[in-house]
Amino acid sequence: MSGQKWRILLTLLMVVLAVFAFLDTFKLWTMTDEDQQAMQETAPGELLQLQQRAIRLGLDLQGGIHVVLRVKMEEMDEGAREGAVERAMQVIRTRIDGLGVAEPIIQKQGNDRIIVDLPGYTDAERAEDLIGQTALLEFKLLENNENARLLIDRIDSVVYQYELSQAENDTTAETGAAPTETTPEPETAAAEGDVDVTAGSDLLAELTGDTADDTSAFEFDENLNVEDDVRPFSTRMEQFLFSRETGVSWPAFLVDKKDKQRFDKWLNLPEVKRVIPVDVQFAWSTRPSIRNNREIYELYLLRRKVEFLGKYLHSISLGQGQYGGFTVNFRLSGEGAARFASLTGRHINKPLAIVIDDRVESAPNIQSKIRNQGEITMGSGADVEDAKNMQIVLEAGALPAPVEIIEKNVVGASLGADSISKGFSASLIGLVLVLLFIGLYYRLSGVIADIGLLFNLFFLLAVMAGLSATLTMPGIAGIILTIGISVDANILIFERIREELRTGKTVRASIDAGYQRAFVAIFDSHVTTLITAGALFIFGSGPIKGFAVTLFWGVLISLYTAYVITKVIFDIRKGYKSLSI
Amino acid sequence: MFRIIPDTNINFIGARKIAFGVSILLVALGLFAAVMIGTGRGNLGIDFAGGAMLQGHFAEPVAIDDLRGALTGTFDDVKVSTIKDFKLPNAFMIKTKRPETEGESKERVAVIKDIMVERFPGNTFAVDSEHIIGPAVGESLRKDAMFAILISLAGIIVYIWIRFDFRSGIAATVATFHDVLAVLGISYFAGIEFDLLIVTALLTLAGYSLTDTVVVYDRIRENLKKFRGRGEFVTSVNRSINEVLSRTFMTSGTTLLMVVTLAAVGGEVLRSFSIALILGVIIGTYSSVFVASPIIVEWEARRPRLFK
Repeated sequence: MSGQKWRILLTLLMVVLAVFAFLDTFKLWTMTDEDQQAMQETAPGELLQLQQRAIRLGLDLQGGIHVVLRVKMEEMDEGAREGAVERAMQVIRTRIDGLGVAEPIIQKQGNDRIIVDLPGYTDAERAEDLIGQTALLEFKLLENNENARLLIDRIDSVVYQYELSQAENDTTAETGAAPTETTPEPETAAAEGDVDVTAGSDLLAELTGDTADDTSAFEFDENLNVEDDVRPFSTRMEQFLFSRETGVSWPAFLVDKKDKQRFDKWLNLPEVKRVIPVDVQFAWSTRPSIRNNREIYELYLLRRKVEFLGKYLHSISLGQGQYGGFTVNFRLSGEGAARFASLTGRHINKPLAIVIDDRVESAPNIQSKIRNQGEITMGSGADVEDAKNMQIVLEAGALPAPVEIIEKNVVGASLGADSISKGFSASLIGLVLVLLFIGLYYRLSGVIADIGLLFNLFFLLAVMAGLSATLTMPGIAGIILTIGISVDANILIFERIREELRTGKTVRASIDAGYQRAFVAIFDSHVTTLITAGALFIFGSGPIKGFAVTLFWGVLISLYTAYVITKVIFDIRKGYKSLSI
Repeated sequence: MFRIIPDTNINFIGARKIAFGVSILLVALGLFAAVMIGTGRGNLGIDFAGGAMLQGHFAEPVAIDDLRGALTGTFDDVKVSTIKDFKLPNAFMIKTKRPETEGESKERVAVIKDIMVERFPGNTFAVDSEHIIGPAVGESLRKDAMFAILISLAGIIVYIWIRFDFRSGIAATVATFHDVLAVLGISYFAGIEFDLLIVTALLTLAGYSLTDTVVVYDRIRENLKKFRGRGEFVTSVNRSINEVLSRTFMTSGTTLLMVVTLAAVGGEVLRSFSIALILGVIIGTYSSVFVASPIIVEWEARRPRLFK
């Protein structure tokens, strides 16, 4: 009987895990569009988090943008071609991260193509801008801390006023947003995506002395009474960059990942943009990281001036630091070396932000004047993956991989929301009919089979959620096939039990013999299906893969539900006088 | 105990000559369809052939069924979907087949606009964008799919070879191909458009047919062991098919229940998909009885004792 106990315990454990895995999906799927829209406004981070944890819907079920890019190998030097696709993919991944797409799919296709799928995203122009451009790697200095504090105080008060007016009524927000024409154009510097060599050299030539005494850009309004408890902006971030050598802090902050969307909204408010001087910019880190068990982004306050361009770097490699840890090494030569030497010589003990596409990869401290050869020491918490990311980013900037968009489709859910809901309700009706049919034909045993089938579907959805798998229309077809196969397993067992009963065996013996003898057929048919699904999953792509995922897990779970769950229920009673089958 | 199928003793194998005739016809239809589709002359859907896409929005809400109904008269292959955009409510995406020329594309937009004015008076339709779109199923996707299918076929043959014998592996694969080709052929001649959903249906029915075949083979294997030397091979095969007949009908019945529901109430878009699946279940059941089993009977008749 202990075997029975274990099977019950295992099943209970699986149920608990499955409920846990499926919870977010359930929450998201039971929300109406209005609820989601409301959540988008009040807590955008939470919605994104929910979307990331729930079963994702593929491009065919929720629509989005599908882009195919080609890396223009012919425009690149022989030596730069190797790894060009990976570099371009890394850059695209970094950029898309800022879009807030729940689950972008970025895949390499063939030798020189990249597929980018952005489910749920419909702004084609913006996506094209982000994806189709060549990476721009720049080095920028950080604003000094005093100026940063003044600016942040002002933003605090502006955001506070904004949030206050939002809370009071919606009409004040409109008046607040009205005078947008007077807003200076802080985007211009960022929009000049291709700063060329001459522009870069001009900027560098103009660079003189210490630029930190530039407080005139700020016009601090002393009438603003900023209290500590009305600092919505600064209380949500935590300063972390500090030069040990000089005791100076730098405006780099940790921001909780779930606050990022809120910050983006604030920073894009016209009234906030107006208080940010034109020569500085806020920039996020390229990707989130984990600190103190929290997922955080770093937010930097940079000077807009481009101090140095990434294209002067070469021979980027990974290395081991003097005291352990990883380093990313690079070389400079000729013109670039002289410029970098002058830049680093003037700013020793200041952080230098490595900025790719307006996102900060890292802001290492300048230890000494760098002429021909530089070394970036990764922080103590960094692993080889971080170092590799840094290397790819530097390479992407040093050896930009030009891409062209060869295919761009905005796809609404290709089936349409109405078809999906119809298909969904039809599947439910079909399922209920199947349950009824099995229940009526096999009576009590059929009800047990029905319970097994429901478990099968539930576990399948939970696994999909747990793996953050993407559900597509072919995936739903896989689920339908799973239902067929799962029902088939029970029918095989029951028909066997009936055969055994007809030979005059006792009920108990017939049940056991039925399960035993049906096992070979069920095992073989399940394994052949698993082989098919496995091969399609490993080697297939797109819709083929979507089909394989649900089929593979569905069949695997069906083996479990048919042989463990339904058997457990049958075995609850030891002696049977008769069997309702 | 309620039984639909009583104990039977039907000579299925005896009908194999007729079955082979029917099957050859079905496979021939399927091969013809496959060649037509492969060379791009078939009734390819927008997924495979590309098309023209128009996005626009109405001022007032419009039911998507009404919109689809309004357009189907003029464009029989139109695909309409809603665009979920909080900023632009009542937005739709209308896909039609790839126009031959630039001019035709412009004309089409004008025709669509006219239809909107005529069918939705009092409402205005604004076109937001229109462009020609490439096929969603690109060359590399097609190659990947072919490769994946070949690998999985090889895997099945090897598995059945190990668990049963080599000829069963081949016969099961042949039966599966037979089913896929038969459904493809029937769909082609029924004028069903070849799109991604049909491909999905074909994959699904291949999985179904394979399961069905393996179950019949399992019983044959068991009966050959049990009655070794006490009867003919053909008798054993026939007996096996008869023994699993009630299971075959029950499983096909429940699966049919599911896909018929999908065809009946699943909406216009899923109809061809569900019809292909209905065909698939029927033909898959037929093939495990009348194709997969007779193949090994014929094989055994020519080179006996290989089936252990």
